Amino acid sequence: MEYAATYTEAELVQGLKDRDQKIFSYLYDHYSPALYGVIVKVLNDDSAAGDVLQDVFLKIWRHLDRYDESKGRLFTWMLNIARNTAIDILRSKSHKLEQKIQNLTDDVHLVNNGLSTVQPSTDYLGFSRILEKLTKEQRTLIDLAYYKGCTQEEISRVMEIPLGTVKTRMRNAITQLRNILNK
Amino acid sequence: MDPQHFISSGIIELYMAGIASEEEVRELEAAMAQFPAVAAEVEAYRRNMEEYIRLQGRTPEADIKTSLFNKINNEPNLQEGEPVPDQHLQQPKVVSMQETKSLSWKWLATAAAVLLVGSLVLNYVFFNRYKEFREYKDKYQSLLVSQNSILSKSNLYKTRLEQMQESMEIIQDPKVLKVPMPGTKAFPEALATVFWNPQSQEVYLKVNKLPEPTTDKQYQLWAIVDGKPVDMGVFEMGDTASLLQKMKVTGKAQMFAVTLEKKGGALQPTMEQMYVAGKIPG
Repeated sequence: MEYAATYTEAELVQGLKDRDQKIFSYLYDHYSPALYGVIVKVLNDDSAAGDVLQDVFLKIWRHLDRYDESKGRLFTWMLNIARNTAIDILRSKSHKLEQKIQNLTDDVHLVNNGLSTVQPSTDYLGFSRILEKLTKEQRTLIDLAYYKGCTQEEISRVMEIPLGTVKTRMRNAITQLRNILNK
Repeated sequence: MDPQHFISSGIIELYMAGIASEEEVRELEAAMAQFPAVAAEVEAYRRNMEEYIRLQGRTPEADIKTSLFNKINNEPNLQEGEPVPDQHLQQPKVVSMQETKSLSWKWLATAAAVLLVGSLVLNYVFFNRYKEFREYKDKYQSLLVSQNSILSKSNLYKTRLEQMQESMEIIQDPKVLKVPMPGTKAFPEALATVFWNPQSQEVYLKVNKLPEPTTDKQYQLWAIVDGKPVDMGVFEMGDTASLLQKMKVTGKAQMFAVTLEKKGGALQPTMEQMYVAGKIPG
């Protein structure tokens, strides 16, 4: 689908509140890659991720009236729905922690790229630039915390690093990420 | 903790990764609400984190979108957006600078509205009080006027009563002689009475019926002593005519008479103008 115009966030929110399907379609085209990326990273399961993505967008469509502009941006709200929904499903499967995080460090994004029917991200080059500058440990730290919802204790156990150093290393990882992105 | 210390404490980084403790989250959220600089820093971190996530985005298969829109169009309950409680929809507390601004604006608007309503209520109350006060003031003034008039009437009655009592005492005194003076032939309708105390020599006159004279004339009382008329003074008519009027004194008299004379009285009575006359009984 093509769109003659892009929308501001306020226009998107108003359009969704007005139950405008054209706006919703734009929203989907614009944000589904980011949300889908989150779900895939959390679940490590492409077939389940498609259903979850659909669920997440249904939630967005149905509950937009609960979105409060004064509390944050629309993208932040949608990301939280996607992440929390996916992490809940991950936990409900009662997998062991080790199973949950399997393949985390084998970058799904890179492995699957070009091999599956999933289309590559439009920002592949941008992401590669980050990967070059973050150590593998820094990526794992961030991804365990953000995508797997791990606690400091869980990170300490999985990565086999002392609990006391998790905080310090996490700060360094996030700071490094910030420095890369702000360049 | 000052905002700069908070920003360099490392809590924001842990918060972004999602591994900050509950206590740290509470502290940070309080700091975001208090310091716009902290809120702005958190927002900057959040944008970085979201950029990191966005860069790892993947385009889903096209049939997911088709299926999604089919669901939206075919399930009426979805279109209506029935409320289903879902914790995932809860937004994290993000206090951006913009929010602080709009928050204070909302507070101001709320405060202004409350003040306006309060002022209107007070206006109403005070206006009613003022109206009541004005009514009371009017009532008070009219009461004051009526009280004054009652007071003056009461004084008048008091005076009258005193005069009447005085008259009664004179009349009831057994030493006082009552001398009725019927009308003469010329004025048969006229009537007056003299009350005379021969011991104290006091003489009082009571007008029973005498025509009101012109303004240049006055009635004059005479005592006839040993055949000669003696001036007993002029007396008033009008309202005063109903009272006993004290005249000049005399210790001796056989007869009393009233003539109409020029104002101030005359030395000798005008006999043609004699209205009433009466002899002392006994």
